[in-house]
Amino acid sequence: MESNTDNTSQNTETTSTWYRSAVKTAIVCAVFSLIVLTFFVINYIQFRIIDANWEIQSLNLKKEFGQNLDDEQLLAKIRQLDLEFRQRRIRRLDFSRKGGYLLLGSVVIMLIAIKSADTFKKKLPAPQVLGNKDDEQLIQAKFSRWAVAAGLAVLGSGALILAMGTDIDFGGTNAVISTSYPSFEQVSQNWPAFRGPEGNGIVDFNDIPDSWNGKSGDGILWKTKIPLHGNNSPVVWEDRVFLSGGDPNELKVFCFDSVSGKLLWTGEVESPHLKNEEEPFEVMEDTGFASPTLVTDGRRVYAIFVTGDIGAFDFNGKNIWTKSLGIPDSSYGYASSLAMYRNLVLIQFDQGGPEDGISKMIALDGLTGQTVWETKRPVPNSWSSPIVTKIGEQFQLITCGDPWVIAYDPAKGTELWRVNCLYGDVAPSAIYANGLVFVIEPDATLFAIRADGQGDVTKTHIAWENDEWGPNICSPVSNGELVFMLASEGLIACYKNSDGTKLYEQDLRENFMASPTLVGDKLYLLTEDGVMFIIQAGPEYKELTKCELGEKCYASPAFVDGRIYIRGLEHLYCIGNNASE
Amino acid sequence: MMSENKNNINRRHFLKDGVWATCLAGLAGLGGFLLSKLKKNNTVWQIDPYVCVACGNCATYCVLEDSAVKCVQVYEICGYCDICTGYLEPEANPPDTGAEKELCPTGALKRVFVEDPYFEYNVDEALCNGCGKCVKGCTVFGNGSLFLQVRHDRCLNCNECSIAAACPSQAYKRVPANEPYLLKKMDHA
Amino acid sequence: MIRIGYIIIGIAVLCFSSGAASALERFPPPEFEGGYEFPSTTTPHPQQDIYEYMDTVVLLAALSLASYLVLRKRSRRAIFILMVFSLLYFGFWRKGCVCPIGATQNIVLSIFDHSYAVPVAVAFFFLLPLVFALFFGRVFCAAVCPLGAIQDLVLLRPVSVPSWLESGLRLFAYVYLAAAVLFAATGSAFLICRYDPFVAFFRLNGNLNVLIIGTCLLVISVFIGRPYCRFICPYGILLRQLSRLSKWRVTITPDECVQCRLCEDSCPYGAIRRPSVSWPETEYGRGKKRLAILLVLLPILIILCGWSGSGLRKVTSRMHPTVRLAERIYLEDTGKVEDTTDASLAFRATGKETEALYREALNIRANFGLGGWFFGGFVGLMIGLKLITVSIWRQRTDYEAGRASCLACGRCFKYCPMEHARLNKTKEALV
Repeated sequence: MESNTDNTSQNTETTSTWYRSAVKTAIVCAVFSLIVLTFFVINYIQFRIIDANWEIQSLNLKKEFGQNLDDEQLLAKIRQLDLEFRQRRIRRLDFSRKGGYLLLGSVVIMLIAIKSADTFKKKLPAPQVLGNKDDEQLIQAKFSRWAVAAGLAVLGSGALILAMGTDIDFGGTNAVISTSYPSFEQVSQNWPAFRGPEGNGIVDFNDIPDSWNGKSGDGILWKTKIPLHGNNSPVVWEDRVFLSGGDPNELKVFCFDSVSGKLLWTGEVESPHLKNEEEPFEVMEDTGFASPTLVTDGRRVYAIFVTGDIGAFDFNGKNIWTKSLGIPDSSYGYASSLAMYRNLVLIQFDQGGPEDGISKMIALDGLTGQTVWETKRPVPNSWSSPIVTKIGEQFQLITCGDPWVIAYDPAKGTELWRVNCLYGDVAPSAIYANGLVFVIEPDATLFAIRADGQGDVTKTHIAWENDEWGPNICSPVSNGELVFMLASEGLIACYKNSDGTKLYEQDLRENFMASPTLVGDKLYLLTEDGVMFIIQAGPEYKELTKCELGEKCYASPAFVDGRIYIRGLEHLYCIGNNASE
Repeated sequence: MMSENKNNINRRHFLKDGVWATCLAGLAGLGGFLLSKLKKNNTVWQIDPYVCVACGNCATYCVLEDSAVKCVQVYEICGYCDICTGYLEPEANPPDTGAEKELCPTGALKRVFVEDPYFEYNVDEALCNGCGKCVKGCTVFGNGSLFLQVRHDRCLNCNECSIAAACPSQAYKRVPANEPYLLKKMDHA
Repeated sequence: MIRIGYIIIGIAVLCFSSGAASALERFPPPEFEGGYEFPSTTTPHPQQDIYEYMDTVVLLAALSLASYLVLRKRSRRAIFILMVFSLLYFGFWRKGCVCPIGATQNIVLSIFDHSYAVPVAVAFFFLLPLVFALFFGRVFCAAVCPLGAIQDLVLLRPVSVPSWLESGLRLFAYVYLAAAVLFAATGSAFLICRYDPFVAFFRLNGNLNVLIIGTCLLVISVFIGRPYCRFICPYGILLRQLSRLSKWRVTITPDECVQCRLCEDSCPYGAIRRPSVSWPETEYGRGKKRLAILLVLLPILIILCGWSGSGLRKVTSRMHPTVRLAERIYLEDTGKVEDTTDASLAFRATGKETEALYREALNIRANFGLGGWFFGGFVGLMIGLKLITVSIWRQRTDYEAGRASCLACGRCFKYCPMEHARLNKTKEALV
């Protein structure tokens, strides 16, 4: 290739013939390479762009076919498409294998041809006339300095441009906590879950209405029809009120505007268990399809239904995720409400018999619905709701089941303590007040448990128990001094927190499904007939007032500053102090 | 003048030899350091199937047109289900073969009847493109016996694997070349 | 009917095992009656280690042969043939991996990451060319490196690049080397491998962007000799510095230079240095002063560049997948972005705590802050030294091959009349 320099024009004739043929070869090879290259580009475009669309198209057709199983034409089309897709893929792969070698070969021949042509027409070195050598070195040095300086400037401006990009500093760990989920203070200013921020049925607002009348409309800010039936309580975050409802055909989440009462949006949770004609899903009428109360973290709202289907929606009603845990094996139908800890949606998924070992506590990430932790529970099906409450500086997730009351670390799901004390179909939830956790064995006993134990503390941490009786649905409530129990049949009783001494017992001669709520020094008790008894939360029974709504009520009401939200059988009521405005 | 120059040159030579020797010693030192932690076995890339999320990047990011990542089947874990969620579209009813019912876009997953009601599922590697559609189906709803692995008869073992760079779950690892696969095990909890 | 039964069993089983994405054996493996045997999963083995050793031996042989051809045989044709062989062997046959350029990163990673150990072949690939450079100059570039070879082959119409422009462009190689070391040391990425422009040609397959970059570089290589080697190659920087000190090196003339100037244009890589005499009187004072200023400037430049390199840690650390992930999770959690990515979903599925991830990301960022000082300091040092070296007056009596930039390709040999004399070709030429 690099032939001798003494290759002069002694033989012009042959040299030029060789030269010309070399040039021609080079041109032919160049053209050929270009053609192959063009094919390569076409192949690439088809492979990566057209065929990708092809796949989407075929997926759509398959979906269409899934809904229309008898369409022979569609079927033939899908199969044809699929076959072509596969054939094309194989052809493409084959081409890119062979084409690569073709291109390489032609480029190599072209290179050889051009190099040969060069050899046949070699120029002899002809040095230029030299200028002043010293000057040249000076000039070169000067230019070099400038070039390096220019390079430095380019680097500097590049760094500057890079530095101007978005800046994420993770804002220190505290800022992270306050932004990725609501702070404890934010939660306390809302009613984000069943029985309030900590699930204890305690209202921290003073300005709660104490007189209204559903028939005359006095004190009723607004009243909106709820499209679907459900027994769950309203949850409230700032200006949004959330409910869910369901029937054998659909499971839905409703969002109301707290100012106008307008239904803002309806979100549907698709369930694979409904619309199954061969094996229709049935549920006890009293339980219904939507008994568990929703939970919200101020960013999204989460709802679980009797079918074990969970849906998450953002505040605009967009479905973020849905998850099916499978139909829970529950004798009256699943009813445990959700709880929330930071970004975790907590599900007490108790099901089956005592020996089945299929109950568990599940924590899902609110943003994605992915399981963050999961812990098996040694209990059969239950209807009690978990609570997340602050005990000392720590949060505890407290659950009731037969026979165990178990407290977990809500962040990791590790067990903190457990007490063996309950028996039967457990429905009332636990509460916490003044160092003690109160749990109720249905129709039997009220237990007070010290919450600072570790491991099985049955023998050591039961502060006292009172086995005269106990409610079977409603949860208790306590102001730290006194603890109140309300039975569905209308019996209310008051005990001393410290030792369990009974202070009074009163029969209200009404039926109750809603749990009692403590508002300052008053107790709010909502009857099945929609009458709110407001009584004094003191050591003696004293009825302060009664307010009628005029509609059946099964759900516990929600309380936020200046307002009460009550779910009637068909309507959602908003009761406010300044109804006249 | 002359001797001064000579001195200068000598000094420069001495300096240069010193730097030269330092460089050589440095390289030798580096060599020694590397030797101290040298390992006999080369490493190869592999996917940890328990970390893999079957995102589909393996099919497109490999430097090879026909990706070196393929789906593998560990038969001991497989449930031999009639309704295989790795093989069938979710809506495929009744379970059966046919393009309209198969998840695999390239027809690489084959279904063979064994005995009532069991079916064996085999991967045809020549057709598989490593997209992981079947893996997703099998992992989410089934036993997870189908999963993606780098096939070392195809892999070029690049110094930096470009799929590893694109892997969202950081499932790619360097593993010793004498144990080049991370197959799922029966008793993994 | 059987099928419905299976659906129910399936649903029931699903209920039991719901939630856990990686749950295994939801459906118990069947017990076959018909004596069915489980097929075994095939596990085809990777290439034997013996290939790695063979590569090392071939590398050593090629380097030795190249040194002999460049320094003793002085034959461009032989060097060319060896170069083509190397291209075929290391490039197309062994697919260009692993190469000494990329091996730099493995070495750096093994120094900083105690759990990572380099394979034998990689260590030799990194060290051998450097040792040879210390003795014989850049013989690796001349005839062994497949990346150099592919550019050398397509060099058809060489255009000379003025030396000042070359000085400016070469800064990129320093930055590239520093960046490659920074990213390798922090375990973020192997930058050199990711943007290796020619490896896609060796594999006849590859990422589109890299193919485009490679094609552009090859087109440039038709006119400008080996642009990758001269302006980009990070390993070339190491070879340059070591070959400055080499014991033996390329000489244009085998004998004494007669200053015939015939070789002046023979080098397509601009590596031939012309003779020059003493410093002109007029410039002497100014030159000394300038040199003094530059010497003072050097530490300032180093600190300034180091400071900005460290200050860029928030940007540079994004090369690390963990930092990228943490930033993504942070954006999602703070509601700055609404959608999710595969990576963020995969992270959340692991159930790891985000705070731990943030901490890890902040640690990595701190590493980048420290590494940034070295990264920037090195770049500053190199720029400062470059400014100083171009300002030093060089005295040369003969035409010489530049110690650092000569790629030992041997093109200049045959331009020298003394070479012809050596080969007894003088008569032919004169007749």
